[in-house]
Amino acid sequence: MSSNLKIENLFFNYQEDLVLKKINLFIEKGSFLTIIGPNGSGKSTLLKVISKLVAPNRGKIWLDDLDLLSLSPRQIAQRMAVVPQNIHTDFPFTVWETVLMGRSPFLRRFENEGERDFALAKWAMEITNTLHLKDRKLTEISGGELQRVIVARALTQEPKIILLDEPTSHLDIQHQLELLELLESLNQTGGLTVVAVLHDLNLAAQFSQYILLMKNGEVVALGPPAEVLTPANIRDVYGIEVTIKENPLTGKFNVIPLARSKSIPQNGKGINIHLICGGGSGTYIMDTLVQSGYNVSAGVLNIGDTDWTHAKKLGLKVSEEAPFNPISEKSLQKNRALLEKAQGIIITPVPFGHGNLGNLKLALDACKKGTPVLIIQQEENMHVDFTNGQADILWKELKKTGAHFACNLQEIFTFLDIINERQER
Amino acid sequence: MHLKKLSINKIPFLILILILFCLIALSIGPTKIDIFTTCKILLSQIPGWEQLLPENVKESQITIILKIRLPRIILAALVGMALATVGASFQGIFKNPMADPYIIGISSGAALGAAIAIVTNLSFILGSLATSLMAFLTGLLSIFVVYNLARDGNRVPIHNLLLAGVALSAFMSAMMSLLMVINSKEMSQIVFWLLGSFSLSNWSQVLVATPIILSGIVGLIFFARELNLMIFGENTAQHLGVNTEQTKIIILIIGTLTVATAVSISGTIGFVGLIVPHTIRLLVGPNHKILLPVSAIAGGIFMVLTDTIARSLLNGTEIPVGIITALCGAPFFIYLLKKRKMIS
Repeated sequence: MSSNLKIENLFFNYQEDLVLKKINLFIEKGSFLTIIGPNGSGKSTLLKVISKLVAPNRGKIWLDDLDLLSLSPRQIAQRMAVVPQNIHTDFPFTVWETVLMGRSPFLRRFENEGERDFALAKWAMEITNTLHLKDRKLTEISGGELQRVIVARALTQEPKIILLDEPTSHLDIQHQLELLELLESLNQTGGLTVVAVLHDLNLAAQFSQYILLMKNGEVVALGPPAEVLTPANIRDVYGIEVTIKENPLTGKFNVIPLARSKSIPQNGKGINIHLICGGGSGTYIMDTLVQSGYNVSAGVLNIGDTDWTHAKKLGLKVSEEAPFNPISEKSLQKNRALLEKAQGIIITPVPFGHGNLGNLKLALDACKKGTPVLIIQQEENMHVDFTNGQADILWKELKKTGAHFACNLQEIFTFLDIINERQER
Repeated sequence: MHLKKLSINKIPFLILILILFCLIALSIGPTKIDIFTTCKILLSQIPGWEQLLPENVKESQITIILKIRLPRIILAALVGMALATVGASFQGIFKNPMADPYIIGISSGAALGAAIAIVTNLSFILGSLATSLMAFLTGLLSIFVVYNLARDGNRVPIHNLLLAGVALSAFMSAMMSLLMVINSKEMSQIVFWLLGSFSLSNWSQVLVATPIILSGIVGLIFFARELNLMIFGENTAQHLGVNTEQTKIIILIIGTLTVATAVSISGTIGFVGLIVPHTIRLLVGPNHKILLPVSAIAGGIFMVLTDTIARSLLNGTEIPVGIITALCGAPFFIYLLKKRKMIS
C-alpha cells in the first residue's frame, strides 16, 4: 500500500510570477516528507501541482510508473488522498455521510456503498477518533473535529500516498500530536507515503524522515531533519535566528527561535574574536560568528563542557582544561595568547566561580590594552557570581574601562559592527 | 424534524401524492366538476375504457378538463419540478444554499427576449409560440455569454460565473426596462409575463416541454454524487475523483436547458427554485441522491397548488402565479434568514 512519487524539472508560473522553479524531487515509497518554508514559498502550490489541481508549465510527475498528469481525477483519487488547508461547508451532511464519500472514487454511478466500504469508513473513524461524531452534522462540530473528519475521509480512500496541507492548523497541541502520531504509525506500519506541509519546525523535526525546505519557489535543502534544519538554512529562508538543541530524551531535536535577523555582518573574514563562555551559553554565538566568517577562539573551557564539545565540532581554537578542574596557569597562558590575537572579546552569561575567574581577569587586561569587550547579560546588570564579589569587582572595572554590554541579539550585532568598523580604519 | 429515514424507495409514494394533488386541482375551478367525475373523464380516454364516461357529463365539462385544465396542471407540475431540481443542483455547484435557477442571469435574458417578442409583435408573424421561443433562445444566449465571460482558459471559476451573471443580468434588466418605458402600451403584457402564469397553456407546449424537462431532471439526478462532493469545493471534489470542470459544464447545460424550457412556458416565476430545495434540505438532509428527486416532486406539488390558488382565488380574475409564490415564498425566506441568524 505504497507509492513512489517522482517530480522532474517542474516549473509553474501564475501569470507573470514564477511560483515553482525547477523542482526535482523523489519521494520514496513509505517515506514521511515534510515541506516547510515561509508563506509564499510555493509549498502549497507544489502540493496543488502534485494533486493535479493546477497544471505545471513544464515538468513531469511520476506516480510509480504512471504519468500523473495524464491520469483522470478518478484514477488519481484511487491512489492519492489530499487533506486541504481550509474546509468549510454550509451544508449539513452528517459525519458518517462525509467519511463515506472517501469511497466515491471506487464506486460506479448509482452503485451504493457495500459492506467493505462501510467497514473502511468505520476503521478510518476509529483511528482518527471521530466515531463518536458519526451522526453529528458537519455544521455542528468544531474546527478541530472537522479536520479529523476530513482526515478520516482521506484514509477511507485507502490511499497509497497522502498529501496534507497544514493539517494541524486548526488543531490544539494535543490533537496536533495525535494526528501526526497517527500518520507516523500509518507510515511505519502500513507503509503509507506521507507528504505534509507543516508550519511548525519542531513538529517537522520530530516526525519527518525527510524535510524539503523551500524559498521563493525553489528547493533550498532536502534531506533528513538534522541536515536541513540548520541555523544557517533557517536564517537564509526565514530571516530568523534560531538555536538547535538536541532533545536528550527523544534523540530528536528542537528548534528554538531567538530573534529576527538583523543584517548579519558577512564581512567577518580575517577578524579574530575570542569567546569566554561555558555551559552551552556560547553555542549560538559560535555558530553565528563562524557562519559570518570570523575566526573564532574560545576558552578556557573544561573538556566535556557543552561549549567545548560545540567548539571542537566547529574546529575552533580552544584553550582547554581537564574536566571539573580549576583553570591552571598553563591553560591561562595559552588563553592569553588567543586573547592577544583577538580583535574583539565576547563574554557570555556564564556563571563565574574561583575556577574560571582567571578568564575574566584576562579579559580585563585585554580591555585595558584597547581590545573591545562585549559582556552579554540575560538581564541588565545581572551577573552570576560565585566568588563573593571578586567577579563583581572585575565587571565594574570592565565597565569603567569601556566594555560594551548587550541584552539582546541586536546589541550583539551592533558590537560586531563596531569591531568591523575599527578594522576598516 | 429530520426525516432521515426517507429513502429512495419512498419516491413512488411521493409521486402518488403529486398525482393526487393534480387530480384535486383538476376538479377545482369556476365550473364545478367533482373529483370522481374528473377521474372517470380521465380514465375514459384510455382506449377500451370508454364506457367509464358517465352519461350525465356534458361535452363542455370534458373540454374543460381535457383541453384547459389538464395541460395547464401538467405544465405547472413540470415547471415546478424543473425549477426546484435545477435550484437544488445550482445550490450544489455554487456551494451556496441561497442560489436559485436564475442566479447566473437566465431569467433576465429570457425576460428581455419575451419583451422584445411582445413589443415587436412577433406573434403576428410566428404565432402564439413566438414569446416562448424568444424567451427560450435569449435565455440560452445569455447563459452562453455569461459562460464565456466567466471562462478563464480551460476553467470556469464559480465566482466568475456569479459575477458575470450579475453584471449581464443588470444590463439586460435595464434594456428591458427601457423597452417597457418606450412601449408603455405593452407594459402590462410584459409585466404579466414577468410575474409568470400558466393561463396560456396548451397541449403542444406539454408535448415539447415534457421530454426536455423530465430528461433534464433525470440527467441532474445522474450527477447526485458529484454534486454531493462539489459542495465541499471544487478542489475537494477533484481530490475525491470528480472531473469538476466537465461536471460543472454538464450541470450548467442541463440546468440551463431545463430552466429555459420552464421559463418559456410560464415566464419567470420566482422563489420556487429557492425555497423548495431549501425546505426539502431541512427535511431530508443535503444528500442530492434524495434531495433532487424529492425536491422535484415537492416543486411540482407546490406549483400545482399555487397555480390552483392563482386561478381560483379571485372569481373571474386570474392572478399571476408568480405573485402567489412570492407571497408564500418571501415570508418563508425571511423566516429562514431569521433562523440562520439565530444559529450563528
